[in-house]
Amino acid sequence: MLQLINLTKTYPTPQGPLHVLDGIDLHLAPGESLALMGESGSGKSTLLHLAAGLDTPDRGDVLLEGQSIAALSEPRRAELRRQRLGLVFQQFHLVPSLSVADNLTLQARLAGREDVDWAQHLLARLGLAGLNDRYPEQLSGGQQQRLAIGRALAARPRLLLADEPTGNLDEAAADQVLDLLRELIEESGCALLLVTHSVRVAGPLDRCLHLQRGRLAEAGP
Amino acid sequence: MMPGIGNTGLLRTTWLTLFSHYRRHPGQLAMLLLGLWVASALWSGVQAINASARDSYARAEALFSASLDSVTRRDNQPLSLEDYLALRRAGMPVSPLVEGELSLSGETTLRVIGIDPLTLPGESSLARQQSDASALRDWILPPYRARIAPEQAKAARDDPRLPPLEADPNLPPGTLVTDIGVAQRLLNVETLSRLVVAPGRALDLPPYLVRQLAAALASPGQLTDSFHLNLTAMGLLALIVGLFIVHAALGLALEQRLGMLRTLRALGVPGRTLVIALALELLAFGLLGAVLGIVSGVGLARLLLPDVAASLDALYDTDVASNLALPWYYWLGGLAVTLGGLFSAGLGMLWRASRLDILALGKAQAWRARLHRQLRLQVAVGAVLLGIAAWLGWRLGHQPAPQELALGFAMVAALLLGASLWLPSLLAGGLGLLSRRLHSRPHLQWALADLQLQLPRLQLPMMALLLALSANLGVGSMVGGFRLTFLDWLDQRLLADLYVRPSEVQHADVVAWLEGQDEVQVLLEARHAEAPLLNVEGQDTGRSLALFGITPAPVMRQSWPLLESATDREAAWQALAAGDAVFINEQLARRDGLAPGDTLRLRGPQGVVTPTIAAIYPDYGNPRGEAVLPASRLADQFAAPPGSLGVVLSPLPSRDVTRIQAALGERFGLSGDAVVDQRAVKHTATEVFERTFAITQALNALTLAVAGLALLTTLLAQAGARRAQLAPLWALGVSRRQLVGLQFGQLVSAAAGTALLAVPLGIGLAWALVSVINVAAFGWRLPLHVFPGQVAMTIVLAVVVAGLAALLPAWRLWRVPPRQLLQEFAAA
Ligand SMILES: Nc1ncnc2c1ncn2[C@@H]1O[C@H](COP(=O)(O)OP(=O)(O)OP(=O)(O)O)[C@@H](O)[C@H]1O
Ligand SMILES: [Mg+2]
Repeated sequence: MLQLINLTKTYPTPQGPLHVLDGIDLHLAPGESLALMGESGSGKSTLLHLAAGLDTPDRGDVLLEGQSIAALSEPRRAELRRQRLGLVFQQFHLVPSLSVADNLTLQARLAGREDVDWAQHLLARLGLAGLNDRYPEQLSGGQQQRLAIGRALAARPRLLLADEPTGNLDEAAADQVLDLLRELIEESGCALLLVTHSVRVAGPLDRCLHLQRGRLAEAGP
Repeated sequence: MMPGIGNTGLLRTTWLTLFSHYRRHPGQLAMLLLGLWVASALWSGVQAINASARDSYARAEALFSASLDSVTRRDNQPLSLEDYLALRRAGMPVSPLVEGELSLSGETTLRVIGIDPLTLPGESSLARQQSDASALRDWILPPYRARIAPEQAKAARDDPRLPPLEADPNLPPGTLVTDIGVAQRLLNVETLSRLVVAPGRALDLPPYLVRQLAAALASPGQLTDSFHLNLTAMGLLALIVGLFIVHAALGLALEQRLGMLRTLRALGVPGRTLVIALALELLAFGLLGAVLGIVSGVGLARLLLPDVAASLDALYDTDVASNLALPWYYWLGGLAVTLGGLFSAGLGMLWRASRLDILALGKAQAWRARLHRQLRLQVAVGAVLLGIAAWLGWRLGHQPAPQELALGFAMVAALLLGASLWLPSLLAGGLGLLSRRLHSRPHLQWALADLQLQLPRLQLPMMALLLALSANLGVGSMVGGFRLTFLDWLDQRLLADLYVRPSEVQHADVVAWLEGQDEVQVLLEARHAEAPLLNVEGQDTGRSLALFGITPAPVMRQSWPLLESATDREAAWQALAAGDAVFINEQLARRDGLAPGDTLRLRGPQGVVTPTIAAIYPDYGNPRGEAVLPASRLADQFAAPPGSLGVVLSPLPSRDVTRIQAALGERFGLSGDAVVDQRAVKHTATEVFERTFAITQALNALTLAVAGLALLTTLLAQAGARRAQLAPLWALGVSRRQLVGLQFGQLVSAAAGTALLAVPLGIGLAWALVSVINVAAFGWRLPLHVFPGQVAMTIVLAVVVAGLAALLPAWRLWRVPPRQLLQEFAAA
């Protein structure tokens, strides 16, 4: 499904180059769920951005379903993102001028495959039913987070990339959202790469990796 | 299939998502459309006036004046049929013409032109159309035919006096052309107005006839060009001010949508699709704004056109239809200018959107650094523009030629643009200085610091305000200065209390009678003539000069204004009265590079005359070159017939203008146009003047109103964000009353700062108008006047405009419940 080969990323800083990723290799099978852990600033978001084709690596390649992202033109890469990926960002990035319902179906509509029943189902499962006509600023933090997850799933992606989707929630709420996420993923059969600080969150997933000094290390649950 | 374009769902969803921003912020949409609407309305209004007037000129030129020479009597009396037949018998290819006015029922007056299609020279468009044999028969045999300008076709249709009518769009408005016999019957005359002849055909005229070259009758298009240029410049200013609003609105909308754009990119919208969607959005707004604008522009033009037509008629004696005639390209042109302007204003937005960095997602912009970079760039570009303006000013300040008019306008544009680019930095600098001095007053210091933060958003409306204010002051100074100079000049030139125009036969009797009256202090006899102007080698230049004969009496010598003379005033007058000297007007001096001491070469009936130029006099409002010499000499050398008599009454308490007027009427049957009170002449002249500038001032006021609207819409559009910034202060214990007061104070002081810059800029603009534009366009220079009242008014206007613009947002802030401020505090 997703394959990272010798991925390297360096940021120039006033103190000299910062090697954030230093030869990352990773394989994620279809339907598999993987937790990516690491300290703050260890490069988790950077890795996720590279995997989504939002950024380009200095060296190495990203293969999505065998397709090399580096070889694609910008519009193709965008198409790939639109059609196959679901993204949940650390800061949600909902569109403030769209209603809850429109935010939820945004990517699905962009991809040209809006599924009204699936959207209704998601809204109900995420506890957002009845909030259809509200705007993001009228939602609580947790509701916004759930809406961001819903938007990523509404387009039925093959791979869900989620950056700390429970960062803003208390433990109970986080557990609830995560259970839901896992259920929905099983329902839709998509793979998951989830970034988190929390062992609790990482626990139930198939695999868990640690990012440390630019390299990946296997970690037991 | 091209990725990103083929998928219409993608484009549509992207477009709808982008547009959803405006649904949530209708104020920004309103501001954008308002800017477009105003820009396109004022621009297309002015263009509609110009297009309509040009159409009228083109029709007038197609008729006769530009193409045929005319032959008239020297004494301006009508010609008889015998005069004409004598010339024909002598083999001269002249054709008779009858002209006159015919009143129809109601207000309509027609200019009736009678022609003889058989002899009319073939060059005129009128003649060409008569070449068909059967049409010719219809034309010269009962019931005859007449062609009429389409504007009057309806009003004339039911008039029983007129022959069958045919509407002809090539005829100037208000014109009817028919066979000469029909015209004579309609006008109830038996004489001819003039004879026409093709240019270049030799004529051997008897001395009582004079030929006037077609070229001497400058075509109305040329004469009025500068008038229309001024209008166009005002329209352009309005367009620019409107586009400033558009630019501000687009910038604001982009800034608030950056997050949305990045999210869309992350969700898989290709950059190209995003740019296309934004461009389509622009196009939709542009079309809407342009259509609204053009429709209201035409309405505006309808409103202004009667005034324009009247002042063009009075100034240049041209007939302009007072109803609009718009060619098809007018509509396309208006659309193109609005869309072009919109895209140039939106180009920056599209460019920024296309280079959007997806990964800056949600990250605070390094806007402070960017702002400083931008300000530095603005200062640099502004410096270059101001340098160009200064250089052009230095070059054109001396003696701009008519062909340098465009350079003059370039100078004005560079000056205005350069100064407005400097405005934000100057304001920021001023604020920085102030806030350092206000350390002990935290509220004020905060307000100033906060105002500095707002500058990036306020800079465009402030620039628009600067432009509008300085245009107001500049044009106001010019018009005020012109009024002062013109009225003074009118007083000096119109010395006599009464102007009498007796016929040639009565002339001597009238003079004798007037000289016998106690009240009459002096009689100022005037004569008019035309003479071909020769070059140094003595060859014809193809131009003819208007000659004006005056009586150099002491009253005249004291008051007649002179700009320049060879030695001194007295000597110049002595030379004029005694020697063979002439005075020439400023227009002629500038156009031909003549100075006192030079010689003129003129062809008179008795041979070439070469008078010396003794002095140059100002001649405001006259489009032609003119020379002045004593009336007696004009009669001798150029066979000028007796003209008008200026009657100067003695300053006795018993003087009675109306008695003389009545006596002239009783004794000589002189009344109406033949006896004119000086006050009436002044009144007409002043009225023409006021009407001409009424249009400029109306456009000016509109531009100022637009700048105020720009400010208001900017404030409204960012009111939400502003409240979020103010909420923390409220939470820290600043009362809402203080917040409103601070807001008000901020804006008013920014506007006052802008006005401070607008004052020197306006004076610079006034200088450019009177010393460069005016000289290049009209051929005469005005003295520069700065009126302290107008300067004060500029500052007051700025404060009032800013205060008015701040009123609505302040009122809304006042009305916000504290609970909402709290929410906005949380969101900030
Ligand atoms: N554009 C950039 N320029 C320079 N350094 C950057 C840039 N983006 C990120 N970094 C640095 O790269 C490192 C990795 O950043 P990244 O955002 O991937 O961390 P993270 O693991 O997601 O952290 P967190 O858990 O706090 O979200 C950090 O040290 C960060 O400071
Ligand atoms: Mg991160």
